[in-house]
Amino acid sequence: MFKFGRKRRLCSAFETMRPDLYRIAWSWCHDDAQAEDLVQDTCVKALEKLDQLRNPERLRPWVLRIMANLHRDRYRGRRDIVTLSAHDEELAATDPGPAEAAERNATVVMVHRAIASLGDDQRKVLTLVDVGGFSYAEVAEALEIPIGTVMSRLSRARVRLRRELMAEKEEITGLRCVK
Amino acid sequence: MTPGRRIDPMQDQELHALVDGEMSAAEKVALIDRLQRDHYRRTALCELRNLKEMVRTAYEEVPVPASRPAPDDEPEQGRGWLAAVAAVVIASVATLFAAGPELLPGSSERFVLLDPDGKGARPAQAGDEEMRIVFHVSGDDPEKSDEILREVEDMLATYGEKGRKLRIEIVAHGKGLAMLRQELSTQKEKIAELSRRFPNLTFVACMNTVKRLRVEEGVIVHLLPEVIPIYSGVAHVVKRQQEGWIYIQV
Repeated sequence: MFKFGRKRRLCSAFETMRPDLYRIAWSWCHDDAQAEDLVQDTCVKALEKLDQLRNPERLRPWVLRIMANLHRDRYRGRRDIVTLSAHDEELAATDPGPAEAAERNATVVMVHRAIASLGDDQRKVLTLVDVGGFSYAEVAEALEIPIGTVMSRLSRARVRLRRELMAEKEEITGLRCVK
Repeated sequence: MTPGRRIDPMQDQELHALVDGEMSAAEKVALIDRLQRDHYRRTALCELRNLKEMVRTAYEEVPVPASRPAPDDEPEQGRGWLAAVAAVVIASVATLFAAGPELLPGSSERFVLLDPDGKGARPAQAGDEEMRIVFHVSGDDPEKSDEILREVEDMLATYGEKGRKLRIEIVAHGKGLAMLRQELSTQKEKIAELSRRFPNLTFVACMNTVKRLRVEEGVIVHLLPEVIPIYSGVAHVVKRQQEGWIYIQV
């Protein structure tokens, strides 16, 4: 009974996860088409390898591991791409309206650039934790690295991210504490 | 460690763990207590919190394309499974969120810390010895909600016993709003009890989320009577951080 319903359940769970997966994939690629392909291929691969999922409660890190491996294999050796995506160009070109909205759009584009400039290892850990909301244990399981490595990559990524953001624009609203 | 030289607190993994919700309740309380006496680390904590929020926000609105049809070699799972999933989700939403007429119950008697725009009626002042913590609830995991209420209760009780000042706000937005909704909250009694016992505890709901649920999903939200509505939950927690409140994401 479990076997027959398993694929359907995975599809259902996958559909629930898809928006988060897409955002994570997008934060790795900063490209709409690449992110969509990555998520779609992850879905196909997950269905193919479903028998290997021993504990259904570990679905999230398991699917992430598939996506991370696909991304690594596909873009291995390629330099990290640091470009404005179509989405960012759209944001930058959008009639900014109130100054607050313009500033927000500029900050979003700036964060995308800063994340894109990180090394792949640091970027993956940072985006899985901050964009995907995954726990350290889940990230460790997904990327097949020790939790200590997750923590050290994360702290280094944030230090570098702060430096990149500071360098690009010192006066970002909200980056500094008032107190 | 060489005396007189300090490690960049941004590299302090304990702070990262706090920001990422990786600490137990006891560890959090102990660290927050230590941070009271360490402005250097507290500032780093605030920066880390802001960085995390910036990253999260920067990808929050990336438009997610509609699902592609499932692969051809999975005919039984083709467009049908997407439709089936959608139907199940819609049915669940309709069942769970069937709602009545009221939107915002009156809660003005607890309206002491906030105005309707979420601007603090009594902004925190540097040098004030009162500890201020804002908990940001953005997920709907009932276990985490239970944990946070237990933690808050412990902190409020402990500080009360020691005669120390403490103000806590629990700000819910997105999925986190479930904790404060009549229809979905599993902690109604606990929230009512805590609100009665601790006037220095405030539950705050994001009206952007309430409006989004109404416009996008046709859901009319009923908030618990103890809850104070504000315009934007995210804007509010950012403002609290700028005022020097300790920020904890749940």
